[in-house]
Amino acid sequence: MKPVQRYWFGDVALARPYLLLRFVLALLAFDIWLNLMPQGAKYGVGGFNVAHFAWLDAFIPSSAFYMGVLAFTGVLALSQALYRPHRIAIILVAAGYTLGWACSLLDSVPYHYLLSLYLVCFVFFPMLSAHAAFSRSARAPRGSVWAYVLFCVTTAIVYFYVAAWSAAQGRSYWLPMACCFGYLLASMQDRAELPALRMTAPLLGAAPIAFHLLTPQQGWTSVYMIGIALVVFAPAGWVHALGRTLTRPTRSLTEERTEGGTDERATQVFYLSLLGLVVAPIVSMFIDLPGVKTGCTLTAIAMLLVMGRQLYFTPRWRPLWRVTSLFGACLALWITMAASHTRFDYYRQGQLDASRRDDHDAAMMFGEKADRYAP
Amino acid sequence: MAYSETEPPPAPPSAKTRHRSGAFIAAFVSLQFLIPLTYLLRADPTDERFTWRTFTASAPPSCETSASLERFDGQREAISVSKLIQQDWVDYLSQDRRAVVDAFLQKQCESKGVLQVQLVNRCEGRSTHAYDLRCGSGRPHETARTAAR
Repeated sequence: MKPVQRYWFGDVALARPYLLLRFVLALLAFDIWLNLMPQGAKYGVGGFNVAHFAWLDAFIPSSAFYMGVLAFTGVLALSQALYRPHRIAIILVAAGYTLGWACSLLDSVPYHYLLSLYLVCFVFFPMLSAHAAFSRSARAPRGSVWAYVLFCVTTAIVYFYVAAWSAAQGRSYWLPMACCFGYLLASMQDRAELPALRMTAPLLGAAPIAFHLLTPQQGWTSVYMIGIALVVFAPAGWVHALGRTLTRPTRSLTEERTEGGTDERATQVFYLSLLGLVVAPIVSMFIDLPGVKTGCTLTAIAMLLVMGRQLYFTPRWRPLWRVTSLFGACLALWITMAASHTRFDYYRQGQLDASRRDDHDAAMMFGEKADRYAP
Repeated sequence: MAYSETEPPPAPPSAKTRHRSGAFIAAFVSLQFLIPLTYLLRADPTDERFTWRTFTASAPPSCETSASLERFDGQREAISVSKLIQQDWVDYLSQDRRAVVDAFLQKQCESKGVLQVQLVNRCEGRSTHAYDLRCGSGRPHETARTAAR
């Protein structure tokens, strides 16, 4: 292989893409529910909207549409983080999330665009099971994962531009530039032929962590970037050990026999899975936010699409685990809504906005709901 | 048949796979390098989207926005901007965000009998920006006046 190909297609400890995918998807779900959903009442007000892209301008997203897209994306993302991700599901998460911010300039948070780029990278990640990423031996399995390298390079490009604009404005740029070089090098640290890099890469991780702790940032940017830096820069042994510990329950629960063919459990599993797909979105009925019921129902339909014929023809418990992950994600949405100020913030924002516009009926309706969910 | 749900640890890529993945990588990375550079060509300097110029929200506006329209019968009416659109859009207007200013003026032109719409941003320590749109014409005309208060 040529040097450039060796850079992109060299070995990576499989624990890194495994943990990175799940960490970002899980965080994305809670970020959506806790930070984006409270802003939902802003959408569709006065029939005015400007999208990020001119071709989307003709479409004016209503509050219910926006909340539905967010509920769909969040539940699907968390369900994929909880059990083996499926490529089609990741494509749907990427599409839903990107549509969520792209449909209006009301969401102009810089890192949302970055997350869309990450989700595009995730589409090409290997959809590893816990068994594949964390073998029984203590040795970390490795493999060629070009999408992981692309993820690191994407992050490096972001830091490169942060440094470049800082330099152009006469501000200090060495820290973001160190982050940029750190990510370019850290993607190679698991290669057997580069032992020196393996020793130094963890030290380079201090740069992004320091940058995100020292620089004021919007939303959960720091949480994402520090978490990502820990997975990318930590020594492979540590990441593997962490992954093994975190996935131990999953690995023992989803232990499957190796024999193929359908067996007598297939029919029971089929009906149980189907029942789960119907029941899971019902949880959203207790959430009392516009569009959420539709969003969760669409997630169940998407899950049906994802599972396809596997729902009946897979002889083992896999469909049931997948439906359980959907159920868990719906339940997590409900608990998050019940335990957070999301609903109060949503209705309060709607009330304030309606009062400002002298829309007394809407203000009263929003006000009643805000009082109901007041902390 | 490739099984997309669960894959074994990825095998070393074949030459064909490397070639196809390489094309995607080249396109994806090139786009990421080029998109931030479009900032240098943007007519609106307040539009910092996709550039990584900042990780923070833009500074709150210190401008006072007012709007008015002129009807075909020559009558002028003041528009209460904050009663028509959500507050975040008002903030965008006061930051001179061109895409939002253009869309707002076009939207007012959709009302019956409107000949011309004007939006004025009076800012502390900055020049006053006025945007005029003659309904039915193309892009709004922008004028900047210094110390107009």
